[in-house]
Amino acid sequence: MARMKFLCDAERCIECNGCVTACKQEHDIPWGVNRRRVVTINDGVPGERSISVACMHCSDAPCAAVCPVDCFYKSEEGVVLHDKDLCIGCGYCFYACPFGAPQFPQAGAFGVRGKMDKCTFCAGGPEPDGSQAEYQKYGRNRLSEGKLPACAEMCSTKALLGGDGDVIADIYRQRVTTRGKAAEVWGWATAYGRPDAKPGQPGAPGQPAPAPTGGPKT
Amino acid sequence: MRSKSITRAAAVIAAAVMFVGVAGAQVPAASPLPADPAQAQRERQISQPYNNAPVWKEIRSGAPQFTSLPGRETNVLIQSEGQTWRAARVPISTAGGFLFALALLGIIVFYTWRGPILVQGRPTGHLIRRYTSSERIVHWTVAITFVTLGLTGLVIMFGKSVLLPLIGYTLFSWLAILAKNLHNFTGPVFAMALPVMIVMFVRENLFRAYDWPWVKRFGGMLDRSGKSEVPSGKANAGQKVLFWLMVVLAGLTLIVTGLILDFPNFNQTRQTMQIANVVHMVAGMFGIILASAHIYLGTIGMKGAYDAMRHGYVDESWAREHHAFWYEEVMAEKPAHGLDAAPPAPPQHRIA
Repeated sequence: MARMKFLCDAERCIECNGCVTACKQEHDIPWGVNRRRVVTINDGVPGERSISVACMHCSDAPCAAVCPVDCFYKSEEGVVLHDKDLCIGCGYCFYACPFGAPQFPQAGAFGVRGKMDKCTFCAGGPEPDGSQAEYQKYGRNRLSEGKLPACAEMCSTKALLGGDGDVIADIYRQRVTTRGKAAEVWGWATAYGRPDAKPGQPGAPGQPAPAPTGGPKT
Repeated sequence: MRSKSITRAAAVIAAAVMFVGVAGAQVPAASPLPADPAQAQRERQISQPYNNAPVWKEIRSGAPQFTSLPGRETNVLIQSEGQTWRAARVPISTAGGFLFALALLGIIVFYTWRGPILVQGRPTGHLIRRYTSSERIVHWTVAITFVTLGLTGLVIMFGKSVLLPLIGYTLFSWLAILAKNLHNFTGPVFAMALPVMIVMFVRENLFRAYDWPWVKRFGGMLDRSGKSEVPSGKANAGQKVLFWLMVVLAGLTLIVTGLILDFPNFNQTRQTMQIANVVHMVAGMFGIILASAHIYLGTIGMKGAYDAMRHGYVDESWAREHHAFWYEEVMAEKPAHGLDAAPPAPPQHRIA
């Protein structure tokens, strides 16, 4: 079974924000919520780098660990999903997430948080695949249609890759060999563990990532 | 005169602490000034064009960068503090939970062993006013909001491990949504009532010389015969300690951190909220454990204590036995024949 991952090639990203727009369009995301964003380092300076970031669908997801109602679950493809019917909008996942992925539409006065919204890797939610209820809560379920995430598909420079971790890692490796530089893959150590971690450290190779919490859907 | 100025000073300090805490939390993440790092990057681009290491280092530092998308800290690519917060919560909440369970167990053991603290003498029927109606209204506002906040807080903190396996996902989520909203909306009421209570009760809770013997013998509470109670003022040393630790220390800490967490619309950084959350959790457990002892002694643990706060009056013999110095003070002000001889039940014949 494939393990879905995102990879952003910082040598290619041109900060066009096409991925952000594609995502908003695909899922009809409300005003004020951005499931994906582009961040630029050393903006305006020679050697600036841009990176597109959204939920990385971590192996040991911090959001799932701190959720007080245990509303997160993992799909068979390793996509971290959540059940909005259970979510209470406490914001703990936002405190814990390294990537700032969880978003909260303001549902009331004084910044009262609504149900959390985040990137689903275009894999919907617990409702039946492709149903109207799923679309309204989580957006389109492209994965069930055999398509990859809209952001990566739409990327004009193919900087953003989304798909089976092994496949996109191979593509990236080929690029690194061809251009002879920039082998670093942003965010993978944080999201998917570190191959060089000592035993006992989080993400160590011998240590299986904590099993996905039971979650609402078994 | 002196106590009045102390009261005023306490109020000013309480207000200042709250203001500084809340104001300090509102500083949003700012973009770094493009001073030296940019120049360094420019030079490096010429000397070492293939060296991306400084860029990755900068990303990993969690420093704010540039993004065109609005929102809280959208310019931060990666924050590591979340992992620290995630790791810190587990031992803190576990320890807090076990301490709370231990406290409840201790109270049960104490009640079984000691039984309620009774009044030795017969009730005289003379009633002395202990709390004014405004004091009682403020006390009960704080009490009811605190219990609501405590219970809902416990649901949010321990529900996942205690309730969720018992009642299932759907029902527990419903309960947690209720708990979160009750917690968020009761909080501000508590935040308004507690400072008023501190100002109202600070005077009788200042420590006096006669509090020391009380502390040394724990007020005679461990004597099962109940015949060796140490004389005290209107509040005894135990109540005073409780006032300063539970009401002032824990209460004000909870208010400051709670307001930071309750109003995310001020663009507080995640780190501010993580710290506030941990402090809130510690202060909350501390307050809940102390409140359990207070609630026990105010209800089943001590005869007549609940009526004192419910109706505002206590019997003469209750006052003489439990708060001897206060009783003497009251009697010195009011001549003995001024006391009401009416039966204690209906709370309308009051004079003191």
